[in-house]
Amino acid sequence: MAEGVAVKEAKELTVVKGVTCPFCGVTCDDLEVHVVDGKIKDVKNACVLGKDTFMHHLEGWATPRIKGKPATIDECIEAAAEILAKAKYPLIYGLDSTELNAQRKAIELAELIGANIDHTSSVCHAPSLQAVQTVGISSCTVGEVKNRADLIIFWGCNPAEAHPRHPSRYSVTAKGLFTPKGKKDRMVINVDVRPTPTTRMADAFIQVKPNSDYEVFSALELNRFTKFQCAPMRGHGNVVGMAQVLTWQTGYPFAVNMSRGYPRFNPGEYSVADLLAHREVDAALIVAGDAIGNFPAKMAEHLQSIPLIAIDPKESGTTKVATVVIPTAQAGIAAGGMAYRMDHIPLVMKKVVDSPYPSDREVLERILAKVSSMKNGGNGAPSPASKGRG
Amino acid sequence: MPPVTLRLKEPLTGVPLEAESISPDLFADRSREEIEALPVAWGNEAHRLGDFFQVDGERSEEIEVEGPIGRVKWVGSAMTRGRIVVHGDVGMHAGSYMRGGEILIEGNAADFLGVEMEGGLIHVKGNAGHRAGAAYRGSKYGMRGGIILIEGNVAHEVGAYMRRGLIVITGNAEDFLGARMAAGTICLFGQAGLRTGGGMQKGTIVCMRPVELLPTFAYDCTYAPVFLRILFKGLKHLGVQTPPGATDGSWRRYHGDLADVGKGEILIPA
Repeated sequence: MAEGVAVKEAKELTVVKGVTCPFCGVTCDDLEVHVVDGKIKDVKNACVLGKDTFMHHLEGWATPRIKGKPATIDECIEAAAEILAKAKYPLIYGLDSTELNAQRKAIELAELIGANIDHTSSVCHAPSLQAVQTVGISSCTVGEVKNRADLIIFWGCNPAEAHPRHPSRYSVTAKGLFTPKGKKDRMVINVDVRPTPTTRMADAFIQVKPNSDYEVFSALELNRFTKFQCAPMRGHGNVVGMAQVLTWQTGYPFAVNMSRGYPRFNPGEYSVADLLAHREVDAALIVAGDAIGNFPAKMAEHLQSIPLIAIDPKESGTTKVATVVIPTAQAGIAAGGMAYRMDHIPLVMKKVVDSPYPSDREVLERILAKVSSMKNGGNGAPSPASKGRG
Repeated sequence: MPPVTLRLKEPLTGVPLEAESISPDLFADRSREEIEALPVAWGNEAHRLGDFFQVDGERSEEIEVEGPIGRVKWVGSAMTRGRIVVHGDVGMHAGSYMRGGEILIEGNAADFLGVEMEGGLIHVKGNAGHRAGAAYRGSKYGMRGGIILIEGNVAHEVGAYMRRGLIVITGNAEDFLGARMAAGTICLFGQAGLRTGGGMQKGTIVCMRPVELLPTFAYDCTYAPVFLRILFKGLKHLGVQTPPGATDGSWRRYHGDLADVGKGEILIPA
């Protein structure tokens, strides 16, 4: 190139290694994100779900608004705080796609406003959590699966579609310490009500009648033969995080109520499905989750009939009908923090790009500060009248 | 002493009211003003009973609630004496932790009726919900004594974790009746759902109609247990008519849950 001719400057490429994917419970922490000029240009090592999450990160961003009209973030936070400070029986829900510090702030807020707080465990692995409370669980990390498991049973789950890198990183083809030949050192069995794409990677498929797992398990006696471990395939990227933080702070993993000034746990009463089906809550804050888009019509109907605040990076069925919409920087992409993998291992989430919007944690902190000043701290509900005996 | 009468001033349509203050133990020695001042919780707000209820009468162990109170929770919780009559539906946790006395619900009862009850009588003319006579999550045992009589139908997990006492359902039950039962007696006149007695340790479930049993229940014998005659005689005193042939018929006995302790029994007419 001759001198004097203007040359377009090469754009700055940053390669961020060891990025943790926020999408699903596999929580891959080996992603390589290529950022050019502050925008994500490529993602290596991710599955199609993770790659989409990063590559389409800028698409469908939510905009800040109150009752459908554009507003500033400050105005939205003020409006949200007013709704929550006045509510008698509010619900805080979602939280499984954001990071631990935001989850902690949400719980702090629930305590301050005497709210019900719940998350997607309630509509997903709640029975697993209740089973663990009842009888305990013999479990292991995915590292132990990779290194030691020579028999894998995928029971009523479809990792091929829901957890695409689980088989290659942990459970089927992964080569471990005592499983150096990968798939050749393992037997894979798939149990389900019908074959799925996961069935193709199994050595045997057992078809059970729908709604008969309880009977089948009653008849099986697994630990009589060898050492079995049980591991639930958790869906959302940080659903375990929310269950962990909620248990750490309140003693209970989901369906928690704080309206009497202390945490109470009662699936069937404080679980989101029941609170909404019984039409008990008078305001709702949904953080990092599309409640309206995923709930049955009757539940979604009630949510739309009360003041509804949505804190989310993206537009969704929930943001479309919310009273107040507060867009945030997406956790794991534009906001750092921590998350728990499906096997309860905490991992660091990196911030790879900037966002014009604050993080979930920051928004919740600001709402907390506003509500505190409005409420002068605490709630006035009495503690139980000594079990009705005065 | 005439009863204290309570009437909801305004129907409750959303946020439920938590009113464990509605208890004969608390009303027995209190004046009307003092009863009106008893605390109730409306979501996260502290209120007085008199803010929600028109109160008539005082210093009585008998409480009459006029009209449906389907959104009022914890009525009669932990009471030890006296009587509550609700002329309509009642909310969740009615009669939970009850130690004595009587509750009569003329309408339907919501979920968690009589949970961890220790004594007394709860009679529901309508239906009850889930987990009647069961345990709260985290408790090893549920109902420990007393009698729950439900004339209508019940939902899931009724009598779960039961330790002692009697539950009589003259309508139908849904799934997991008597789940993880440690002892006690459940008597079901109608149809049971799935997984009756799942995880049962000991205790008795009497099912008047054929039941689809779990594979972990085994047949013992066909016989005529004497205790059933005493049970049905007792039920007559409660005003429950025994189905024809129940007292002199034969019964098939199954024991289970063999996946657990397995000393529970399910009795089905032969």
